[in-house]
Amino acid sequence: MKRIAAWAALAFGTLYFLLPLMGMTEFSLKMRRGVYSLDAYARVLADPKFQETFSYSVIMAVFTILFGVLLVVPTAYWVRLKLPRARPYVEFVTLLPLVIPAIVVVFGYIRLYNTSSWLPLTGTATGTNILLMFGYATLSLPYMYRAVDTGLRTIDVTTLTEAAQSLGAGWVTILGRLILPNVLVAVLSGAFVTLAIVIGEFTMAALLNRPAFGPYMQLLGANRAYEPAALAVIAFGITWACMGLIQLVARLAPKPAIPVKD
Amino acid sequence: MTEAPYLSINGISKSFGPMQVVRNADIEVGRGEFVSFLGPSGCGKTTILRMVAGFETPSTGSISIDGRDITYLKPSQRNIGMVFQSYALFPNLTVAGNIGFGLRVAGVNRADIDQRVKEMLALIGLPQLADRFPWQLSGGQQQRVALARAIAPRPSVLLLDEPLSALDAKIRVSLREEIRAIQQELGITTIFVTHDQEEALSMSDRVMVMYQGRIEQIGTPAEIYNHPKTSFVAAFVGTLSQLDATVTDIGRGEARVGTATISGLSLPDTVKPGDAIRLAIRPESIRREQRDGDQTLEARIESVNFLGAVIRIKLTIGDVALSLDTFNDPTRPSPANGQTIKIHFAPEAVLALTD
Repeated sequence: MKRIAAWAALAFGTLYFLLPLMGMTEFSLKMRRGVYSLDAYARVLADPKFQETFSYSVIMAVFTILFGVLLVVPTAYWVRLKLPRARPYVEFVTLLPLVIPAIVVVFGYIRLYNTSSWLPLTGTATGTNILLMFGYATLSLPYMYRAVDTGLRTIDVTTLTEAAQSLGAGWVTILGRLILPNVLVAVLSGAFVTLAIVIGEFTMAALLNRPAFGPYMQLLGANRAYEPAALAVIAFGITWACMGLIQLVARLAPKPAIPVKD
Repeated sequence: MTEAPYLSINGISKSFGPMQVVRNADIEVGRGEFVSFLGPSGCGKTTILRMVAGFETPSTGSISIDGRDITYLKPSQRNIGMVFQSYALFPNLTVAGNIGFGLRVAGVNRADIDQRVKEMLALIGLPQLADRFPWQLSGGQQQRVALARAIAPRPSVLLLDEPLSALDAKIRVSLREEIRAIQQELGITTIFVTHDQEEALSMSDRVMVMYQGRIEQIGTPAEIYNHPKTSFVAAFVGTLSQLDATVTDIGRGEARVGTATISGLSLPDTVKPGDAIRLAIRPESIRREQRDGDQTLEARIESVNFLGAVIRIKLTIGDVALSLDTFNDPTRPSPANGQTIKIHFAPEAVLALTD
């Protein structure tokens, strides 16, 4: 009886998840009357706006990931090594982006960094891009921090640090040659989640008026029928590819040094 | 130690908040000497080691190596090698990468690193494992690699923090012999922290026994075992039967234990007739066969424990309990519980403890 209930729950979950996807995919293939075709996909991929906005978002994602790694890895490492009692408070701060809406964050940015402020980042395209990157890093902080912190949990940070110090290593060497390679899989997990967030983000990019992929999807969705469905399927594909890559790199992780039997 | 000290620990103390874990410790270690810090958990031995390594800063006192004050130097500036209980090998580096890490950090050129790594692998007897990762090694192999990694940069002092504790008994014995042989071959000044008295006694030139943050006694393994200065050292190192006695005659070195009298004892100068004193004797110093000059007492057998090569017999003299160790002899009948036997011991084997 329990087994039947479990299978029923699984079937319901699968249908709940797959049916809309299948419907959307089927709809995206119906652009040509009476036959299935990839016309909607071809039109989307050929659109210069698609290429421009997608490239912009990928570049922004790369910078966001780099900034996130530089911010989160040393912070999470230092908290584990020197401030273990501060960990709950740091975790709380990293969770704030989940409860503070993106629109509140971006309005805060606009008020703080507008052209009449002491740091007028919104005055130039580069400044606004930097501001948007900070915003993306904030949105991805809960995921990046958790991923890195989980990675650090699998290694004995304190003893490895002390061993490296006794061998003459400084902080940069310890972080760059020992800690980062040992949490690389966790960092990549965080990086792929960040990529997925940046590719789909709308609010910040739209309010900062940047040519990102999210606002392009919204614009397309408001004016066309089949192309938005094709775009949604492409976006899903990118997300799933990221998740697949997370699984792939997890296999390449350095294993903890648990001794085999003597 | 007769020559000038190489490593000097001068009056160091360490407190964590209100708790003082090391109290005014003075230790001098000679060049090439192997000194063990022995004591129960929480006695402060690892804290002293960590202060020497630079992971903790002393609350008071100073540490110097070869006359150079290192008290406030960073760990990376001390040129001290350390081996940890948990091996602490870098999981992302191969065996060769681990051993060469310190040299790479020091900026040694590639060819010299490769040469030194080969030397170290030969020294620890694992030349075929250079390309393995730590997770592909056994515990004993990992600890050998950790030792090679620590000594590859030619440190001035080697610190071993309970390096054998995580290994099983057989590997522990063989590895401690290897560590001692390597230490003697390289002539490296070494501090070894352990709570295992057998390890400390078998490996060390000198042993420092600690208890509750204080140094109880420093001496050669034989001095520590045969002439413990305090009742803690006597009780902690080896097995010891402690007997409450009353001094009866200073001149004849005589004291009464229960209903029996023991003479020929080396009594401290400070005692006088009628004083209570604590005597101690090791189980192996008590015999069932008499020799010239032995003291003889009658005792009752309370229990017999067969330990393989040795049989440990628990005895009572009145209400005083003590132990006797005798080699197992399959040709002789085993002693039985409740039996009354004569036991013999040399008066010199009886220790008079001052505290």
